Amino acid sequence: MNKLWENIFKPRQNKKDEIDDILMKIPVFQDLKPHALKKIKCILHQREYKTNEIIFSQGDVGLGMYIIERGSVEIVCDPERHILAELQDGDFFGELALLDDSPRSASAITKTPCRMLCFFKPELLDLLDRDPKLGSRILFKLAWTIGERLKTTNQQVKELSCSTYSTKPIQ
Amino acid sequence: MSRQTGYLIKIAVVGIIAIAGIAFLTTVSNIVKMVIISALLAYILDPLANFLESRGMSRTSATVAIFAVFFIFTGISYMVFLPLLSGEIQALQSGLNPAKAGLIIDRLEDFMVANIPFLGGKDLNLLTRLENSMAKTGEWIFDHFLDTASVITSMILIPFIIFFLMKDGREFKKAFVSIMPNQYFEFTLYLLYKLNAQIGNYLRGQFIDATIIGVLSVGALWFIGVKYFFIIGTFAGLANLIPYFGPIAGATIAIIVSILQTGSFQMALYVIIAFTLIKLFDDILIQPIVVARTVHMHPLVVLLSVLIGGKLFGILGMLLSVPIVGFMKVVARESIHNYRRYREV
Repeated sequence: MNKLWENIFKPRQNKKDEIDDILMKIPVFQDLKPHALKKIKCILHQREYKTNEIIFSQGDVGLGMYIIERGSVEIVCDPERHILAELQDGDFFGELALLDDSPRSASAITKTPCRMLCFFKPELLDLLDRDPKLGSRILFKLAWTIGERLKTTNQQVKELSCSTYSTKPIQ
Repeated sequence: MSRQTGYLIKIAVVGIIAIAGIAFLTTVSNIVKMVIISALLAYILDPLANFLESRGMSRTSATVAIFAVFFIFTGISYMVFLPLLSGEIQALQSGLNPAKAGLIIDRLEDFMVANIPFLGGKDLNLLTRLENSMAKTGEWIFDHFLDTASVITSMILIPFIIFFLMKDGREFKKAFVSIMPNQYFEFTLYLLYKLNAQIGNYLRGQFIDATIIGVLSVGALWFIGVKYFFIIGTFAGLANLIPYFGPIAGATIAIIVSILQTGSFQMALYVIIAFTLIKLFDDILIQPIVVARTVHMHPLVVLLSVLIGGKLFGILGMLLSVPIVGFMKVVARESIHNYRRYREV
């Protein structure tokens, strides 16, 4: 009888723990207390994708960020389908759409069967309404994450421009 | 089986399911109406629950608190206003026949027969017609709103549905979105987000506006001394939810009652002035503040929507026609916009 109970409840518990672990690795949700994390889990959407399925296309209306729970995703730039990044379990993308209304700047396509967690703008705005403390904490973390990405990009641009100037022949 | 046959079978299956669904909903139309009214009220009350949540309450406690306040308020209103309301409706049902009213309507009828040639000197029986229509209105209100069985069913079911829609609305929305194919999932959420922003504000604004107009109308009619001021004022408030037709309908009933009550046009004139002032106050002050962000529709579209809604689904259709057309407008605009952008890419 005990085995039966264990079988009913064990997988579900493990799945919850898995989502907790993944969320805790995402900078936006890092350092959140368990009850706050529970609130976040309630507003996340869970989706399953097959291999080579388009998650979103470049130019689509963007509404939020995707977190890879399991699988692999390619971020490609149309029209040549130039691969910008390959993302794995625990990675996230599309977070800019939480803040602005501009269309998606690249397409996301699954490379393997994927399970995704989706965090969208309407839910973030609703959370800001219901729990302003938690909502603003997430917004702050989001700003920090985007700031970090901007610093990295600046660094890359700097390196690129330095290498371009150093290889340029003196006229 | 060819691809085209498979496609046709799919369309046929969807068509059959849609027809069966519509037939089923028509059969249980009373329940559907109740669910629609509950959903609207739950939607209107949602920001209040959100506010209580932001003050540290759980969703369930916030919903329970709103219900507790609602029941206390309803209980007090029931004790104070129901005897007044049912008395007024019973008086309406039994009809009106004061001698003065009879005289003035007879005079009006004579004037119309003598001066409007296309009537051909026919006997119009205005007084009988008016009395009959008023008695019918009273019966209709009694049948639809104060019939014991329907009141008990609605009083139990509507709060029950509202409670669960408020408490678990987010889960329902999530469950609805989860059945969408991956291809349309994000776009569906985007549409719901846009709809909430546009139609949510309209509905909440209209609801507050109707409450203010109702209170003002009851007060004005009471001050003028019109009989059945409570029921006419409440009707005027509710009717205000229907664009264009509502305010006219509310004022017309008040004017007719005042003429029948006194037999002169003096009170009717006061009623016209009061309703004009209320309408001005509504247009200048209440509408711009309360109904700040509307669905931005052309007045002709609003007018036609209300007429079609009324023809198809009666009063509920008239009430919901503007938000429904607004919904269709948002869906069409966003779909076309998205399709164009897709083509550009």
